[in-house]
Amino acid sequence: MEYSQAEILQTVRMTEMEHLDIRTVTLGLSLRDCATESIETTGQRVREKIERVASRLVSTVDEIGDEIGIRVANKRIAITPVSILTESARGNPVDLGRAIDEAARSVGVDFVGGYSALVHKGFTRSESEFFDSIPEALASTERLCGSVNAATTRAGINMDAVARVGRLIKDAAERTRDRGGLACAKFVCFANAVEDNPFMAGAFHGIGEPEAVLNVGVSGPGVVNHAVQHADPNLPLHELAELIKKLSFKLARAGELVGREAARRLGIPFGIIDLSLAPTPVPGDSVANIIEAMGFERAGTHGTTAALALLTDAVKKGGAMASNSVGGMSGAFIPVSEDAGMIEAARLGALSLDKLEAWTSVCSVGIDMVAVPGSTSAETIAAIIADEMAIGVMNNKTTAVRIIPVPGRDVGEMVEFGGLLGTAPIMPVNKFSSDQFIHRGGRIPAPIQSLRN
Amino acid sequence: MANEELIYRITRAIYDRLGASADESTVEQLVTDIYRTVEPAIGKNGSALQTSARATFGDSGAQEGSASRIVISVFGVDHPGIVAGVAEILSEAQCSIIDINQTVVQGKFAMVIIADARSQSSVADLKNRLRSEGEKLGVHIYAQREDLFNAMHRI
Repeated sequence: MEYSQAEILQTVRMTEMEHLDIRTVTLGLSLRDCATESIETTGQRVREKIERVASRLVSTVDEIGDEIGIRVANKRIAITPVSILTESARGNPVDLGRAIDEAARSVGVDFVGGYSALVHKGFTRSESEFFDSIPEALASTERLCGSVNAATTRAGINMDAVARVGRLIKDAAERTRDRGGLACAKFVCFANAVEDNPFMAGAFHGIGEPEAVLNVGVSGPGVVNHAVQHADPNLPLHELAELIKKLSFKLARAGELVGREAARRLGIPFGIIDLSLAPTPVPGDSVANIIEAMGFERAGTHGTTAALALLTDAVKKGGAMASNSVGGMSGAFIPVSEDAGMIEAARLGALSLDKLEAWTSVCSVGIDMVAVPGSTSAETIAAIIADEMAIGVMNNKTTAVRIIPVPGRDVGEMVEFGGLLGTAPIMPVNKFSSDQFIHRGGRIPAPIQSLRN
Repeated sequence: MANEELIYRITRAIYDRLGASADESTVEQLVTDIYRTVEPAIGKNGSALQTSARATFGDSGAQEGSASRIVISVFGVDHPGIVAGVAEILSEAQCSIIDINQTVVQGKFAMVIIADARSQSSVADLKNRLRSEGEKLGVHIYAQREDLFNAMHRI
């Protein structure tokens, strides 16, 4: 046989039993040519363009997934940041958000990302108005996701934007009070946002990107989890890293195969493959379980930052060997509500907000899908975001926050978001105030490491 | 000579599955069907075994992995008729078997077939037929494109 039985068994086991799937094939689409002087006509053009370019996206990707024998969980679209489209248009940006959402529904994609603004150095007048429309847009649509880039290593941290994001998140939660603050699950605040990220809620089609591009996000914590759990418990860590690296190579190759085939059939250039390990609520498909399998009683205890560092690095190295189109975030995701192991660790008190923040220094999106009490103030949320932004800016990496202050709920309760978004335990925040620091506003200057020329 | 050996091996595999008391004419028919399905994959002067050895040692076409070939893996509790059931579907679909490997360990049946699905207008159709046959036979049948295995296991 051209392949040994062990090789064939491994692939079948990965795809059929360990939930190896392609998390998303995301079509990045420029909508800059749709901008007009009126929101209404921009909306019409946007709808027409999305429906034209993405009409075959879902069916083609599903067909390829079926043929190759690897499931593609989500099909998504990332668009030009909407704040750019509304720059000189009269009308309510929320209407444009709804038009985009309708187009997404009509082509059958799971999410469309890009109700976004890049304000790391400051707001234009129109961006400021757009910013205020984000909560209503997210609350009144189904598949639309939004993001704000509030900091970069080159620009520093726009603390005015961070403070406003705190209020924005509270507003979005309140508008979806009956759904546990669901609108917040569709919003993320970034430092050093990447332009070709295929993952939600933070995907948008960056201004340096081509007309259209197909990006792929691979998943696969289940596969790594199985391997680490079945490895010799006394295996030294460098050998464990080697094991993960080899698996990650295989995951990346499978992802690239699907991405390139989809690109070929749709006639859209292939962009990048994002190597992030993205968990799902399915038992075993958990980043927390991988960490625990390395030798911890629970994810979140002392030493788990080191374990996560080993994991993300090994995943990147394997992926970088496998493909020369690596991009996006490419770091492990640790969304609490989407990871059964994280949920359990948080419920037991093993995993705290502080530890999640520490983990961010070695992965990408640190405080992700974290539910906090509805009574948490906008200032405290802004302060949590400021901490994450600082980690990203000072370490020259992408960091992000997706946090949900669940209205009317308190620590110890659970909130259900459904589907891939999962279930979140409400986690406690520090009870001491950060108000004065946040009220100062202004900008945290770009760090010395930004002076690289 | 090599082909005779292959026919012998197919016959033996069928008897192994169906038992010594199997109807002789049925066995003969099965051997003929399977051999005809396999025949196009066998080179002028080589057996299926040599074909696979050549591929392993640098047949550039095979190294790329092929979008028109599928790897069919069958797992389950062993009982008579599994090979025949799968082979029949492939034969009906005009798919030639390029390579086949089957073992039984402690009553667990495992078989891998690499088949040429070039004649198939829709691989999805064939997969559905295999899937429902699997349900009928009480085994899991997975069909995946060969290039997935190539991507994952070959540099």
